[in-house]
Amino acid sequence: MSSGRWDRGRVAALAPDAAAATAAGGVARPAKWSGAGCDAEAVWGECQGSGKSVYRSCADLAGPAFRCSCPSHKIPCKHVLGLLLLWSDGTVEAGARPGWVAEWLEQRRERAGRAQERKAGAPKARDPKTVERRERRVEDGLAELDQWLRDQVTHGLAQAEKAPYGLWDDAARRLVDAQAGALSGQVRALAAIPRQPGWPDRMLEEYALLRLLVLAYRRRGELPAGLRDTVRSRVGFTVAQDDVLRDGERVRDRWCATGSRDSVQDQLTTRRVWLRGRETGRPALVLSFAAPGASLDSSLAVGTEVDAELAFYPGAQPLRALVAERHGPAVEAVPGGTSVAGFLDEHAAALANDPWLERWPATLERVRLARGEGGALHVVDEAGDALPLRMADPWRLLAVSGGGPVAFAGEWTPDGLRPLAAWQADEGAVLL
Amino acid sequence: MSGWNEHVTAALLGTERRDPPVLPEAPDGRGTDRAGRLLDQAALLTVARRAGRVPGPGALDLIAPAPAEDAPVVPPAAAARLARILRGEQVQVLPEWLDAAAARGLRVPARLLPDLLERGRGDRVLRPSIGRAAGRRGVWLALRNTDWAYLVGEGGDPGGGAEVWETGTRNQRAAHLTALRGTDPAAAREALRETWAKEPAPDRAAFLGTFRTGLSLDDEEFLESALEDRGKDVRQLAADLLARLPGSAYGERMAARARGCLTPRLRTVRGREQTWIMVEPPSAHDEELARDGVPFHPGGSFAPGGGGRPVGTRAAWLREILARTPLGTWTDLFGLPPMEIVCLPVAAAGAAEGRSGRDEQDGDARDVHIGWARAALKQHDAAWARALLKGGVMVDEPGALADLLAVLPAGERDAAAAGLIRWVEGRSELPPILERVPGPWTGDLAAAVVGTLTASAGRPTRRDEHALTQLCRLAEQRLDPSAAARLETLLTEQNRPADQTPAPRERAVPRAVTALVAALRFRDEMLKELAP
Repeated sequence: MSSGRWDRGRVAALAPDAAAATAAGGVARPAKWSGAGCDAEAVWGECQGSGKSVYRSCADLAGPAFRCSCPSHKIPCKHVLGLLLLWSDGTVEAGARPGWVAEWLEQRRERAGRAQERKAGAPKARDPKTVERRERRVEDGLAELDQWLRDQVTHGLAQAEKAPYGLWDDAARRLVDAQAGALSGQVRALAAIPRQPGWPDRMLEEYALLRLLVLAYRRRGELPAGLRDTVRSRVGFTVAQDDVLRDGERVRDRWCATGSRDSVQDQLTTRRVWLRGRETGRPALVLSFAAPGASLDSSLAVGTEVDAELAFYPGAQPLRALVAERHGPAVEAVPGGTSVAGFLDEHAAALANDPWLERWPATLERVRLARGEGGALHVVDEAGDALPLRMADPWRLLAVSGGGPVAFAGEWTPDGLRPLAAWQADEGAVLL
Repeated sequence: MSGWNEHVTAALLGTERRDPPVLPEAPDGRGTDRAGRLLDQAALLTVARRAGRVPGPGALDLIAPAPAEDAPVVPPAAAARLARILRGEQVQVLPEWLDAAAARGLRVPARLLPDLLERGRGDRVLRPSIGRAAGRRGVWLALRNTDWAYLVGEGGDPGGGAEVWETGTRNQRAAHLTALRGTDPAAAREALRETWAKEPAPDRAAFLGTFRTGLSLDDEEFLESALEDRGKDVRQLAADLLARLPGSAYGERMAARARGCLTPRLRTVRGREQTWIMVEPPSAHDEELARDGVPFHPGGSFAPGGGGRPVGTRAAWLREILARTPLGTWTDLFGLPPMEIVCLPVAAAGAAEGRSGRDEQDGDARDVHIGWARAALKQHDAAWARALLKGGVMVDEPGALADLLAVLPAGERDAAAAGLIRWVEGRSELPPILERVPGPWTGDLAAAVVGTLTASAGRPTRRDEHALTQLCRLAEQRLDPSAAARLETLLTEQNRPADQTPAPRERAVPRAVTALVAALRFRDEMLKELAP
């Protein structure tokens, strides 16, 4: 349960899309509402819709979860968002719950309770035959991928420059059939490489790492447990959240959210939130997903720190994690960081554990901006060590830094450092 | 570890044409083909390259730090609202936000500068406001993006001192000259005199425009010579400036012409004896008149005048001459205060007594009053402005009257504007008149506007609807936000569901009023957030 009323920004972040956020502004007028009220757990009200209809909207703040009697398929809809905006402005008074609100909250609690019981009960036993069948299919699919990779190199990568999209798409589709979903997306994304400068190097890197993964999977029996888990997850075997919560490595720390990035693929929006432990200095990655029209998890706001226990997914270089338990409210904080050299050492150590790492979070202290050859922007630390930045629009970062030193968070990729956030004395965390 | 480039070359050509390079570090490649061996070696090299990355090239230019700010940043709530405005919510209040922040000595947070400067790129009107509120970081940032270069030299301080006059752009030089006129008008005049002959005509006009600041009789000789300038705009500007200058030879020349047009005569009409103003518009146009800034066809001479005819050139000359005549001429001539002069009856000098047509008489009176109104505006004469506004003359020229509001002392303006609004209540001229009344609309004026809105919201005709929409759009920006409460009652009164009380009016309140209330609330909160 969060303390107090949420600010406008937090409410706005719930909007499933920009249209809903705009429409909510129109609904957020006291004149439109009757019987609006709130208590520590919920906000409710009745909204005069167009025509004669009156919609009953309600938000359960603990979830958060939302309900509205309007026909919109968006969750939360503009009515709930408008109601929450009013509540955030302090226009909604505390009051007693009307019957329909109490009833709904009751139902929700019951459902949650039942789900808990189901989970606590016997974990779903997996049919060993199904497991075996899938392992075999993946193995066959990877063998086919290996042949495909070697074919590319045998005939020469030069042909890739003019190759149609279908070259990679076909290979990706065969991987879907082989139930190696994670790899399929990776192969499909390769089609974009020949349109970038320096593509032959990138293409060879990607093909080589794919081949390395194929070999690793083939010899998974000989690998240490951690590396085996890494290989399995890179191929596309998923681990259930419950298993992670039950068996995963637990780390309690004050976790600072250093950056967040949303990406859309196949209509599914993925949000990556990077965390960094204050005491352990460990990085962590929390993923959340949302179908179109649904809102993403906004419980970890960049620039805040929360005392929490994370449960890490298994792997040689544990990175992805779930928030298992929160021990306090989120407070604003500037993350502790490293120098550029310190970051590169950290990254090298991580690569030694997981050679397929394509993103690694960088949290740098007191870096300044500099222009390199051709005007490309770099971050430079106090020792004079630099990393190249990769970004479309540098102006916000420039404005915030003003040429002075800032705390900086970004994602390190083979192409360069993608900025996520910067901290400035006057304004705190600024998303980039 | 080297050999990466050889591997890329081999991969590009294909292992069927090129052997994979030898890599001693790699585990031996038995059990696989050439392509497999190339890929395995490349994987080793890739991971080694990525893990072995050293901090990047030494030749870097650090970005020079921005100068420290004097002004504190706005409070977080105000910053959050600015972000909403920049995303397009109630974007019309952006200038007000910026001016309010600047007036309180606050500045825009750095993270919002790029979006703000981008707005100013497309909207010139915003630029001075941006310049005042963007702080030093704003200028620092603008220096790094040619799209935002307009900000440099904006914000009142042209900077750079005297050399700006030698090397700056036209706007920078004009800003420099304006600043100098403010402190030492003579020095500014002499600086301009030195380069005058070499400046192109548009520049001469821009620089002469700065004489509005610190205008005095010392400038007369310079302005008189500018009446002979080659540039038409320069000549016109010089004449306009001279017309504002009390006690000038120009004013005396105009007064002589004007006295030829208006003469007092004691007349007895319908048994009542009083002073009449007999009007004789100039019969001819001459070189001298043109030199003093009255062209053969002054602006508006083709506009419709009284009785369905155009104003005509003679009446237009009369208006222009009166507009350029020192108003003191009339108080001296009639020996009366402005209020009484304005109320004197007017008649055409040529017309036989008692037989002048009603239309014609009105037309003459209108020409005289319009001429005086323009003069009061030019000469910034509050007594004459007050007399014309209150005298009940020029009722069919509310636009000209609205202009006079600016001449009144600030304390009188609201009441006078309110009177004017009640005067034209319900007529289609109302929006254009209000357009000329600068914000913020407070006190009596706010009450009058709310009254007008309430009245027209209740009238269902389409014409009213149109005027109401226009009115709301103006009020959104200028009406004092505290009026929102009074308008809100209008909304709740009409929105009440039918089953609760008999609805006073069936029609829903026009969307424009609803939007207006939302905009006013938004501004109200905005100004509170910016308050210290």
